[in-house]
Amino acid sequence: MKAFISRRDFLKAAGVTAAAAALAGCSSSSGSASGSAAGGKTIKIGVFEPASGDNGAGGKQEVLAIEYANSIAPTVDIGGETYNVELVEVDNQSSTDKAVTAAQELVSKKVSIVLGNYGSGCSIAAAPTFQAASIPAIGCSCTNPAVTEANPYYFRVCFLDPFQGSVMASFAKDQFGASNAYVLSMLGEDYGSGLATYFVNAFEALGGTVTNEQFPEGTSDFSAYIQNAINAGADVIFAPCATTYAAQIITQAASAGFDKPITAGDTWESSVILDAQKGTDVQVYCSTFFDENDDSGIAKEFVTGFKEWLNADSQKLTNNGGNDIVAAVSALGYDGYMVALEAIKAAGSTDGTAIRDALYGVNYDGVTGSITFDQTTGDANKDMAYIKKAADGAFEFVKTQSVED
Amino acid sequence: MTMKQEKKRIYLRAALGLIALLAVLLALDNLSFVPSMLLTVLRKGAIYALVAVSMNLLNGFTGLFSLGQAGFMLLGAYTYAILTIPAASQKSIYQRYANGGIGFSIPELLSKPLGGFGLLLGVIFCLILAGCIAALFAFLIGLPVLKLKSDYLAIATLGFAEIIRAAVVYEGFGPLTNGSNLLYGFTSFSNFNITLGGFTLHLETVMPFLFSGICIAIILLLINSTYGRAFKAIRDDEIAAEAMGINLASHKRMSFIISSFFAGISGAMLAMYQASVQATTFKSSMTYEILLIVVIGGIGSVSGSIIASFLFIASSEWLLRFLDNETWIGGFRVPLLRSGFRMVVFSVIIMAVVLFFRKGIMGDRELFQKKPASAAKAAKKEVRSK
Repeated sequence: MKAFISRRDFLKAAGVTAAAAALAGCSSSSGSASGSAAGGKTIKIGVFEPASGDNGAGGKQEVLAIEYANSIAPTVDIGGETYNVELVEVDNQSSTDKAVTAAQELVSKKVSIVLGNYGSGCSIAAAPTFQAASIPAIGCSCTNPAVTEANPYYFRVCFLDPFQGSVMASFAKDQFGASNAYVLSMLGEDYGSGLATYFVNAFEALGGTVTNEQFPEGTSDFSAYIQNAINAGADVIFAPCATTYAAQIITQAASAGFDKPITAGDTWESSVILDAQKGTDVQVYCSTFFDENDDSGIAKEFVTGFKEWLNADSQKLTNNGGNDIVAAVSALGYDGYMVALEAIKAAGSTDGTAIRDALYGVNYDGVTGSITFDQTTGDANKDMAYIKKAADGAFEFVKTQSVED
Repeated sequence: MTMKQEKKRIYLRAALGLIALLAVLLALDNLSFVPSMLLTVLRKGAIYALVAVSMNLLNGFTGLFSLGQAGFMLLGAYTYAILTIPAASQKSIYQRYANGGIGFSIPELLSKPLGGFGLLLGVIFCLILAGCIAALFAFLIGLPVLKLKSDYLAIATLGFAEIIRAAVVYEGFGPLTNGSNLLYGFTSFSNFNITLGGFTLHLETVMPFLFSGICIAIILLLINSTYGRAFKAIRDDEIAAEAMGINLASHKRMSFIISSFFAGISGAMLAMYQASVQATTFKSSMTYEILLIVVIGGIGSVSGSIIASFLFIASSEWLLRFLDNETWIGGFRVPLLRSGFRMVVFSVIIMAVVLFFRKGIMGDRELFQKKPASAAKAAKKEVRSK
């Protein structure tokens, strides 16, 4: 076969492309610099979130809230001088092997503090990079204990998996008087199987019995698992898993006539779950990070403001999943940004280490409750989760739940 | 000048070249004005270069189309991680499993009496062991699978990689593999940095190049040996090769095992680079990435694979990132540039390469080749047509 294009031409084309790419790279950096230079000095905040991969959808919701927060509070006062806050977004593709270069990109753009990630894996992979550059990071919805453990530059604004697992175990016991639980999680997913383990431990400690099963990635027929739950005589199902599977579990539980409650963790607070539950009698409960109708009014203000902001731009609405339902991760993203600003203010500097030291002293009343950080691990001190129930296309607030002693 | 003398000269040149490269990298590593992004990309590029060359050994030089690379990398990465997590932190890393972890760490054991040298020795030992575990599995899989040809072999090895990924996270193996959770905290490239007084000598970029360089050199020696010639003979015509007295089964097995061995080592190095391992990373898409590198570089060209891996990593994870950001030039917003656009552009480039430049950058030539491959090829064609 004769070559379609000769090698020399190929090399020429490659050279031209490379040159064009280099030029474009230059112009983009100069473009952003000129844009921000308009109003004086700038401080950069890195947004380390997935826009593609398994967690792409959730990551986008978190980024939207951070952008919204940036539109609410676009400047910060450092030592009497007003700085513009510039967000530097980077896509880590939900993969730990891409996370390192993504994190390095933020380091090379000289950000002062980083927000993210959505999931725990990429945060753990990127932590050494941020630490080496002395840049503090605030995890928004990464609930794995390992994120902040032994990472002095990692903080987080959400609660942890062991806490959430125990809360749901207590809830199952308190609300339904359950003594027999069926736990279903996805094989190989650290979030779900972690939560499942903590639930099992707590539920057994409360004197209950548990049937624990895992399904492989890509499963679409859950009828056998639901039948197992019925056969085991389960009073409640605990199924912490991704929303794509959740929708199938709910619809198939409905068709199998399962009349006991199905509970899950924070990922289930999503419009996907509402759509699946709508028109069925299945009772679906999930734990989450905030309640928009609480007394302080901060959450209410955030929800109305955020919805308005989303509805003003169809592109943003699409990124939020095609509707204006506010996800819990969005609330966490918003809080993460605000906490970062508080810390920058308190530090009075753009220096990473100074901001990190200031983070320990932050006390901020956020959408997801009051946020202070544990002095050793850097985790937010949270002792309460909000339980919501999916009913006819909306989430109803049920109660706040803390861990039983 | 005899052949022997000439060979000696070539080896000497290659060794000097590698040393010179390492010296340059050492300088890059320790000069503060060098962009850190460049170093990160170089590190990952070196690791991918090794795995691409190992895949090329199988696909390009032996003609066995296998897609199990990610599975073997996973085995290597897990073996390495399990063996090198410091004993003290095993309890917190394996928090969900009572009695999790192996209770000791090889680099730790060796670095106690021997210091920094022991650390290096321990890491090298664990890297080799990681390769051996991958090779062992390759041997076992090879028994039934290598009887298959072309597409069937590809499907079987792809399936194997997926099975490994599911098996590693099986709860029963939890105390060893930490189930679905990450392994982290093990010896990584930054542990090689030497601190003397207040001054730190960085070796983070030198080490992956050193390891990869040695491994690729070994593969090169193999390709240029009688075994390598036998591999190429099998690739070109199995029946002819057999008629020449080449044992097909044993040579195919050898190629498969050696390729997996180096894939295992590169998996372990990827773990060192990421500072964490999780089975979900080693999806089949990782194999496709490596296959792409091999195709872009040229099937059957070692230097092509190396060049392509640096090009691929640099452009996908660094140079094209500007496509993800909204850009304003003056008051004009550049259209299309927004989060996710990078992946679109990248896919289009790759499609163009595979459709129109099937021979890749190097074809089956090498960078420093004395005799042009085209002449040899013409000779081969002549023989075939007769």
